[in-house]
Amino acid sequence: MYLALKEIRHEKLRYTLITAMIVLISYLIFILSGLANGLASENTQAIESWHTKSVLLNRNANVNLSQSTITKKQLAATNLTKSQAIVGQAAVVVKSSNREKESAQFIGLDKNQYIAKNLVASSGRPFRKQHEVVVDQQFKSEGYKIGDKIKFNSASSQYTIVGFTKNAKLNIAPIVYGQMAIWKKLRPFPGSQVAGSAIISKTADFAPAVKGLKQYSSPYFISKLPGYSAQNTTFAFMIGFLMVISLVVIAVFLYILTIQALPTYAVLRAQGIPGAKLVSTIINQSLILMVAGIIGGALLTAITASLIPFGVPLSFNPVMLSLITLGLVVMGIIGAALPARKIAKIDPVSVIGG
Amino acid sequence: MSAIELKNVNHYFGSGSSLVHVLQDINFSANKGQLVLIIGPSGSGKSTFLTIAGGLRTASSGDVSIEGQSINQLSRKQSDQLRLAHIGFVLQSYALVPYLKVSEQLAFVDRIKPEGNLNAEELKELFAQLGIEDLVNKYPGQLSGGQRQRVAIARAVYTNPEVILADEPSAALDSDRVVKIGQLFKELAEQRDKAIVVVTHDTRLMPFADKVYEIMDGKMSLQQKL
Repeated sequence: MYLALKEIRHEKLRYTLITAMIVLISYLIFILSGLANGLASENTQAIESWHTKSVLLNRNANVNLSQSTITKKQLAATNLTKSQAIVGQAAVVVKSSNREKESAQFIGLDKNQYIAKNLVASSGRPFRKQHEVVVDQQFKSEGYKIGDKIKFNSASSQYTIVGFTKNAKLNIAPIVYGQMAIWKKLRPFPGSQVAGSAIISKTADFAPAVKGLKQYSSPYFISKLPGYSAQNTTFAFMIGFLMVISLVVIAVFLYILTIQALPTYAVLRAQGIPGAKLVSTIINQSLILMVAGIIGGALLTAITASLIPFGVPLSFNPVMLSLITLGLVVMGIIGAALPARKIAKIDPVSVIGG
Repeated sequence: MSAIELKNVNHYFGSGSSLVHVLQDINFSANKGQLVLIIGPSGSGKSTFLTIAGGLRTASSGDVSIEGQSINQLSRKQSDQLRLAHIGFVLQSYALVPYLKVSEQLAFVDRIKPEGNLNAEELKELFAQLGIEDLVNKYPGQLSGGQRQRVAIARAVYTNPEVILADEPSAALDSDRVVKIGQLFKELAEQRDKAIVVVTHDTRLMPFADKVYEIMDGKMSLQQKL
């Protein structure tokens, strides 16, 4: 560590430049992971707020909530308990005079079941009457207020916002919660035998043998949300590539420095300084660079997070951040392996010749 | 007992038709308190001799001993320890770490070999003898060539080795400086009881030597001092 620190202190410009690169790479990785986590969260906020363990869908819906319908007959056969609730989902455009149109997901609930009962309004109150709705907090940031009258799509019926609620997003769209009767108006079916889109269960073992329905675990259901897996995979690739880039940057930098310092290392080896001591110097330098770069990146990320507008889905998962930090440190150590190997193989005879 | 001794040392490079017999039946010894020169032109085998005597390379045959201890069969780690504790090198490249101040060059040695080095008083005396007491807080890049060489000598003496091996220490020095370096090596050998072996092609150092060996085409012979 002695040599590592002394060299860094002596060669401030070089090491500041490489640390700046690591800062930028780690900053980019942290922001991307925050966006990945934020977007993933906006896909699944509502599902998680319902404490979903399993979902019952129409067997032929291709694990897609918007394609699924459950008939009244099927619903009756499922024998729901307090841990299950039927939901009706419809994609809508929310309109209100003097307000921007907002694409949203309408979720129809049975007010006697657990999701409606547990719905907490962060401001205002839960819906009680047929023309009342509770909407996601995002509407508030878009200028909507309690008491505002809204319409869905081109329908003429008006509904009143009576409350705002947090963590109410599905597939990145804000949710409008209301009674199931509204959903039935939004998605009219011939004969009106349809009861809802899906049955959400707080227990994993809810799997009634009802013809035409199939139970899915919550993680599987989430993985099949439109675009969810593709989006997460894209972010994972970007983060992975940045990790590799950080490895290459640190490896190239340390390799060039090592090549320049080979005569010095050879002299030290001739004087009897153990090779392991010199190898540890390069590993320590790499660790110092990575840790300093990661701390800088984390600070920039914290500043960015505090300044970023409300609508940007930036959310950090401490476990993921810890894993990324660990991954970057490991990349630094791997990056130092090549120059370390070069040092380990130095022939001290080279300083004398002969 | 000689501080350093080579008996019947042979060394070859290459193999088959390209085999070169670089050192041929070398017999050499230097005692503590002696300054011994090895004189020879370029390509005569001087540097190969130095690497074998310094434990950096193993001779093809023959025996090399430091303080009576054979170093032929040492492991890499043992060889490192031998060089660190018993042999000081003064190399043409001056052997200084560019990002360590003069005092830190020695502090670094203390971290690797904490015991047996010169104490503070002895170091002060050595610095005064070498005329570098005002340079302790300078980096090698801030020193002249002569100052760097004297710091390198201090670095070599600091670990208190029995043997100091110097490679062309007077290269590119004018005659006045050659005299100074010759006198300095002579003083260090006598006052500090070291065997100092200087490999050089510079005959201007001969007046200061206790023994002079000539090496020519891989063969070494002891010269009669004038």
